[in-house]
Parts: sequence; C-alpha cells; structure tokens
Amino acid sequence: MKFELETLFIEEACRTSRLATRVLAGLPAQVPVHYVADGRTAALRSGESADPFGAGKRRMVLMRRRGNFLMGCPAGSTEFACCGYLVMVLASNCPMDCSYCFLQEYVADNPGLQIYANYADVFAELDRVRGGSRERALRIGTGELADSLAFDSLTGISRELVEYFATRENLLLELKTKTDEIDNLLQVDPRGRTLVAWTLSPEPVFRSSEHRTASPAARMEAARRVLAAGYKVAFHLDPLIAYPEAERDYARLLENLFDRIAPEAIAFISLGGLRMTPGLRTAARNRFPRDPMLLGEEVLAPDGRYRTIAPTRFRLYTRLREQIARADPQLLVYLCMEGASAHQRVFGAAPAAPATLGARLAGV
Amino acid sequence: MSGTEVEAAIRAWAAERRLPEAHVARWLELPASERTALLELAQTLHLRTGQFVTIFTLLKEIGVRENQPIAEVLTRREVRNIFAANESAPGKARALLEVLRAIRFPQLHETLAQINARITELRLPEGVRVVLPPNLGSDEVRVELTAHGGAELKRLVEAVTARSAELGRIADLLGGADEV
Repeated sequence: MKFELETLFIEEACRTSRLATRVLAGLPAQVPVHYVADGRTAALRSGESADPFGAGKRRMVLMRRRGNFLMGCPAGSTEFACCGYLVMVLASNCPMDCSYCFLQEYVADNPGLQIYANYADVFAELDRVRGGSRERALRIGTGELADSLAFDSLTGISRELVEYFATRENLLLELKTKTDEIDNLLQVDPRGRTLVAWTLSPEPVFRSSEHRTASPAARMEAARRVLAAGYKVAFHLDPLIAYPEAERDYARLLENLFDRIAPEAIAFISLGGLRMTPGLRTAARNRFPRDPMLLGEEVLAPDGRYRTIAPTRFRLYTRLREQIARADPQLLVYLCMEGASAHQRVFGAAPAAPATLGARLAGV
Repeated sequence: MSGTEVEAAIRAWAAERRLPEAHVARWLELPASERTALLELAQTLHLRTGQFVTIFTLLKEIGVRENQPIAEVLTRREVRNIFAANESAPGKARALLEVLRAIRFPQLHETLAQINARITELRLPEGVRVVLPPNLGSDEVRVELTAHGGAELKRLVEAVTARSAELGRIADLLGGADEV
C-alpha cells in the first residue's frame, strides 16, 4: 500500500539526516521538495484548503521533535481502567482517513504529516525508562498519533525499532497499523520482543469509514505472515461501532480471524466502543456527512464523550468477550477507555491496576 | 411554487425566525422536493427556530442512517398520523419531535420503553423514585427515597427491599443483560 503525497518539507537542520536521505531516495519524482527553517510552520493548518486536516495528510514534514518522545497514552485517565501503555511519538498524523479518527480533533491545528528526523534519540529515553523499571515489563508503541507502518517503506524506521527492542528483555514494542506494509518487518528478527497489532472492523465499517486502509482480509493476511516470521500479533476491535447488524458482523469478523489465525497464537484482543468528544463529533460529521457509522445511537455519557447507549455497548462487549473465551479461554481481552463498572459488567470482576495489566500485556 | 418562489419563501421564513445563515444554506442545498417538504412542515407546524433546527438535524441524520430522502421520511405512517391528528400546531410539532427522536434512536427508545414498563409494574409507593441515567448514557441506576419521619422512611425502605430482585433485574437491563 502506498500513499500519495503532494509536497515534502524538510527542516534545514534535518537536510542530511538518515531519515531525509531515505525518504528522498524513495520519494516519487513528481513530489516537490521544499526546505524550511522550522518544520513546525509547515505542519500548521493551512487556511487555503476547504479541508485543512485532509490536506495535512498529503503534506509530509521531516523535522526535529523538540520535546520528549515518550509519553503516557493520551487516552489514559484515572476515570478509566487503563492498560499502562506507553507511547513513542515518532510521527504525527496519518495518510489514511478514518471518519471516526480522534486525530481530526487532536492534531487539528497542526495536521501536517510530521515525521521526526531525530527519532533515534528515543533510544536514550527508552534506556532511561528501562533502567528505572527493570523489574517491570513495559509495552511501548508508536501507533497512537500515527499509524506505525503507513510510511515504513519510505522511512524504514521499523527495522531500527525492532532491532533495538530485540535485545531489551523487559520491553515490548507494539506497532499498530491498518496497513499491510510489512516488508521491512520480514527482514529482521524480532526475537519475540515486537508485537504487531491490527485494528480490525467488519466490512461495512471498513467500506464506510476506513478510507485508504488495507481491507480487513489484507490485514489478517499480513498478521498471518508476521506471525510466521516470529512476531507476536494482537488485534484491536476499536472502535466497536454499534450499527444495527453489529453483533452479527463482529461475530463473523472474529470467526474469520480465528479461521486464519489460531486464537492461541494471538497475544491479546482489545475492545473499545466508539467514543467522541463533542469537538471530534462535529469535526468528523462535517468531514464525513454521509457516513452512517457516525450516526449511531451515541449519547452524551458521564465522561463528556458521545458513546453508544450503555445497554447496547455493554451487550456487544459481553457477546464478543464470550465468543473469544469460547475460542480460547486463555486469550487476554481488555477494554479500552472504559471505567470500572464496564469491566465488572463484562468480565464479572474489577479491573486490574494499569501497571498490572500493562505488565501482563507486555509479557504476553 | 417555482424554485425561485420556494427559495424566497424559505428566506422569508428564515428571516422571520432569525434562523442562522448556516442552517439556511444547508436548507437551500437540499434537492428541490426536500426543500419544499421542509418549508411546508415549518409553515404548517409554526415551528420555532430551535424546533426547526432539531427537526432538520434529525431528518438529515435519519436520511443518512436509512439512506432515505427527507421527503420520504416525512411520508412514514407514524409521521403522517401526526399531521392527520386533531391537534394544535404546537402539539403536532412536539409530537413530531418525539416521533423523529424515536426513529433516530430506535434502540434507546425501545430499551427505555421496556425499562419504564418494568418500573411501572413495580407499583412503587409515592416517595420512591427510580432514576435512570440521561439517555441511558451509563449503567447507573439510582433509587431515591423521599420521606418525612422515621415511620415513612421505614415503610419506603421495606417497599424497596420487597422489590429488590426486580430492581436488580432493571439494573442488569441497563448493563446490557438480555430480557430477564
């Protein structure tokens, strides 16, 4: 899968970086290249487009990251039962265009597709974090503010990451994607320390909402291939969209998945219902007014987000959890961005502490 | 009316009701039949500005959800019944809002009806109230007791205790349990 770019901006200070060299070598000849003093200005929202967020997706900016690369998962909150996930911010925004994506609000003011040329500095940060918690396994991913593999054929960053993590026993790398860009991964040995996770949705959601992504079948096939190459695999059924046929379609999706990949070979499956802040809901509906998946039975929930009405949402979680348990009772399932009461309803038990769940997920 | 006359009538109605320009623009973007149907609706029911905006939004969302033009949504039996009823224009407007909300949120409507029926069947004494979360946005159920004096409070607590199994089933329905 290759994505179209309209322009490439390179920050002057990154002109001779490894990343710029690799990207320039692989960039189609027709894409114009501009050098700028400060990449941040090139990443800003442009008022010239009717859809500045969409336009940002076609404008790649290679620049330095000024702040830390590591952060806690932005979805984390004390009101939710979290999974202790750590995020490496190596890029921002994504060339795919899912109608429900939180980036439409989160990076609305700087939607340029930023990739940080000084990404190798993250290894020093990782060493520090690792030094501070040798007793505890940590799961660290790159797929929160960007798709982990969307531009990997151009940047080649995944290979360096996989090689770094291959020798760090208490760290697990999670690459999260909706692509089938796995060629680089197949060139390196992860030694069990990299997990590749795919977001999966039923066909109607894929067709209606997940623009420019690989099909669910292609994602599963890519998962099968990386599994054979020694990677761990996991799946995020997130967002779960409760459209009228959702129970049937998600059940079929899981059947399909387990037909292709033995449930015993899957590290974990996360479930997360569609949730949208009022700002995201407005942005998403303005950009995708004809997408029925954005017009489900979402109501304002106590956390200030629009969520599917509780009975429908919890029933869908429970059905899927039961189906997964029938396939493999040991297969780890967790809920994303849900509170303790949802866990109690779905699993019949209080959620584990974030550090405990995080360590379990990192040690899978 | 010709297209020009319909547009003029829409603008006149919108000016009188001080309908924000963004909504006027969206109204005028509709295909001719839908534009006209909406104008007739607004005029017949003497819609207030807020009512119009809500109804317009609901109609558009139903149209996208069910892949149906607004004009067709307005020909549904439950909507036609409202227009046929012997009711004042404001009464019809309120009824239309309720019907459109039920069409737009069918599971919410059905689940609420089911749970409210269960609550009614409990025949709770005055002073006991089961409070459901707004729009079923969460699974929290609250039981409120309002008493004046120890004897009354004791009576209400006993009434709730006697119905605890059924109240528990209502709480489970809120959490997605099947009909129990």
